[in-house]
Amino acid sequence: MADHSNKERIPGVPRYRKPKGLKIDGTEPFFPNFLLKEWIVGSVFLVAFIMWILFNPVDLEAVADPQDTSFIPVPDWYFLFLYQLLKYVPGQVVWLGTVVVPGLAVALLLLVPWIDRSKTRHPFKRLIPTGAMILSLIFMAWLTYEADEQHKHALAKNPPKPKAPAVKDTAIVAPSDPGAKIFSQSCATCHGAELKGQVGPSLLGVGNKLKPEQIEEIITKGRGAMPPGIVQGDDTKKVAEWLGKQQQK
Amino acid sequence: MLKKTYDWIDERLGVTPIWRDIADHEVPAHVNPANKMSAFIYCFGGLTFLIITTQIISGMFLAMYYVPDIVNAYNSVKYITDEVLLGQIVRGMHFWGASLVIIMMFLHMLRVFFTGSYKAPRELNWVVGVLIFMVVMGFGFTGYLLPWDQKAYWATQVGANIAASVPVVGPYIRILLVGGADLGALTLTRFFAIHVFFLPAALLVLLGLHFFMIRKQGISGPL
Ligand code: HEM
Repeated sequence: MADHSNKERIPGVPRYRKPKGLKIDGTEPFFPNFLLKEWIVGSVFLVAFIMWILFNPVDLEAVADPQDTSFIPVPDWYFLFLYQLLKYVPGQVVWLGTVVVPGLAVALLLLVPWIDRSKTRHPFKRLIPTGAMILSLIFMAWLTYEADEQHKHALAKNPPKPKAPAVKDTAIVAPSDPGAKIFSQSCATCHGAELKGQVGPSLLGVGNKLKPEQIEEIITKGRGAMPPGIVQGDDTKKVAEWLGKQQQK
Repeated sequence: MLKKTYDWIDERLGVTPIWRDIADHEVPAHVNPANKMSAFIYCFGGLTFLIITTQIISGMFLAMYYVPDIVNAYNSVKYITDEVLLGQIVRGMHFWGASLVIIMMFLHMLRVFFTGSYKAPRELNWVVGVLIFMVVMGFGFTGYLLPWDQKAYWATQVGANIAASVPVVGPYIRILLVGGADLGALTLTRFFAIHVFFLPAALLVLLGLHFFMIRKQGISGPL
């Protein structure tokens, strides 16, 4: 345990200690010397983490819909290797992939101190454990990569359906506005007569996200599969303004 | 003032030896990056702990708003994301932190593995480590369902079906996991309870053991 050579010090006063009397081989007191440096490393780490969070906001998908069996499920990335493994075991012997292989892997990992009993610790002097771990890592990385590729492929083949309206209130605002008329002539075939979306996404509640000017820009420039300039001239402004009023929650 | 207060408490309770016992030990040269840069691999365990701490804190704040029932769960997460002050950040911390814990823990495990630090006398701490690993994976699995969005629901559905395919006991494991025949309200409350009560309790006990053993045995020597 701790060597209590510093017992005479005044208790309760952390200060950067000169490692006097210590071997001059780089050994350092944990408290406070090492902890102060560690704290700096930790702070840098945390700042980098927060930056990452700021630039990568988390989103929320559509609410769970037990009826929608077309959704292509995928586990979080750190489970992908286990998930992918199952794809290579034939159906009659799934238990190989669900129980035997993962069970063996966990058992091996738990028992490794009793399997590798030699006294040497250097990784290059224990080629079997080192090699086995590197091979497992490559295998796991490959499984993860394959799972991701296959999921992307499946998504490209079966693009997810346009989101159902995320709003509860489906009443259209100002249905007799001139903009509504233009909408029903030019836009409704894709976005639905009730604004609930068909080929294109639902526009219920667009007014919460976009200003009329932004909507106007999307109409003139197009977006994704939507071609530019479906509505022309003055009408653009009228539709955009009417859509801007659609602030259903 | 601070010193006086401290002394007053110390006189009565003798707290100094307690924290001194934790604080007073030497950090050997071969694990100190300030001494030799390549020793940064020995920081992975500490950094894992740092992120575990931020997970616990961000999780406590999320729990102020999150509602674990299938009608409100999704909307409460939406509310956290869109309305709550700094909600987006706190949710981001918890979301990205989950992946970061896994990464750092994995790197830490590899450090221990490749330096052969699981060897005698540290076998038990290695076993505790593997258990911690599984507990953390459990956090990931149960936490993924909580937003109750499409990917949450269907990933859990797949997980439950995989469990059900285990011979003999599979169907029972599934029922235990899902809380009934179908994935629904009972699954969500169950996963919530596991995520915020059962697993944290297990993790804290295991981490306590982990740190106790590290302190008792000291860090493994240079290679
Ligand atoms: C939440 C997860 C974990 C935390 C916070 C944690 C924390 C730590 C810390 C702070 C150390 C001191 C040395 C260092 O930082 O490298 C350590 C050492 C150790 N850890 Fe972990 N650990 C975790 C998971 C694991 C896992 C998954 C394993 C193995 C499967 C493991 C096995 C060990 C062993 C054997 C030691 C002693 C190593 C030595 O003496 O060189 N730990 N752990």
